[in-house]
Amino acid sequence: MTIWWLILVIVFILFNGFISVWIVLHLSSTKSTKNNQSYDEESINGSVDHIFDDDFREELRNRGRLHFEKIITENAMFLQQDLQLTTSQLNEYLKNEITLKLKDEFKKYEDSISDAKQLAVESIQRTNDAIEEQRKTLNAEVKKEIESEKSLLIDRFEKNMAKIINHYVLLAIGNQIDLNDQLDYILADLETNKQAMIEDITNGS
Amino acid sequence: MAHKSDDAISSEKMALPLSIISPMDIARVSRELEAYSEYYHQLELRKNKHSDIKQPKISQLLDNLIELNMLDLTDQNDRDNLRSFIEDIKTSAPVIHASFSVDPSVSFLEKIISYLRKEINQRLLLTIGLQPNIGAGLLLRTQNKYFDFSLKDRLFDASNDLIKLIKETN
Repeated sequence: MTIWWLILVIVFILFNGFISVWIVLHLSSTKSTKNNQSYDEESINGSVDHIFDDDFREELRNRGRLHFEKIITENAMFLQQDLQLTTSQLNEYLKNEITLKLKDEFKKYEDSISDAKQLAVESIQRTNDAIEEQRKTLNAEVKKEIESEKSLLIDRFEKNMAKIINHYVLLAIGNQIDLNDQLDYILADLETNKQAMIEDITNGS
Repeated sequence: MAHKSDDAISSEKMALPLSIISPMDIARVSRELEAYSEYYHQLELRKNKHSDIKQPKISQLLDNLIELNMLDLTDQNDRDNLRSFIEDIKTSAPVIHASFSVDPSVSFLEKIISYLRKEINQRLLLTIGLQPNIGAGLLLRTQNKYFDFSLKDRLFDASNDLIKLIKETN
């Protein structure tokens, strides 16, 4: 839209320039035609030739030429001023438009960057959440597994504790246990189970 | 070695010395008695004349048995009573099998057999086994029953108390 306006302004300026040139040329032509008619009438009439001799005509031509040059110069100056003004306005306009466009583009760019950043942050957040979730799950599973293993070990230890302690006692003091030292305990055990042994021996085969 | 035959006791009243512990000892004594009987039988056949027949050696087991029961092996009657007693022991004496963690000494076995014969049966015999994994105590097996007096069994019985103590400590 702005380019079309620019072209229209330029065309308008050029059109004004052509119109000014055409007017100047037309006025000059009209004056020349009128002068020819006067000369023809004078020649026809033959009475006023002495007034408009060659020097006078030359003088008129010079005056007309100067006047034309003056007009041309003035119009050229006006045209130059208009062109400078237009160029200045055009520069200002272009500057504003480009600035606006750049601002708009930068805004879009910033928005895009912001959106991308937001997406990245959300993605990282989701990843972090997933990792945290997995960590919690893994932690719970590991904890559960450790508890299970611990429970299993404790169960095994409790089931086999008598064997373990007996084995340990044997390793530690097995060679130092004297049967004579155990005699009192053995006799006490025999005394405790004496009746059962007597019954078994008595009622056996 | 020789005792007065008048003091001899009948086979029903005879007792086993503490040195005779297992059926193997009984078998050994029985073999020695047979050798002695054969020796005196040979002497009898040769009219008590000196000959080149050697008198069998008497082991400590047989010597203890004779002394305890005040027997005279030169007397046929005593020999017969002793043979009868040994046969009776072979056929009817209760046998208990005991396992220990280490090989027990003779004196220890004598204390055990002394108690068993005093409290359970006078003619009781004991066979000895070895179970190093029991730690301490003994395993006793009668004809129909099994008694575990080992440290392992005590620990097993006390495992709940041990677990409780461990948990309290933690």
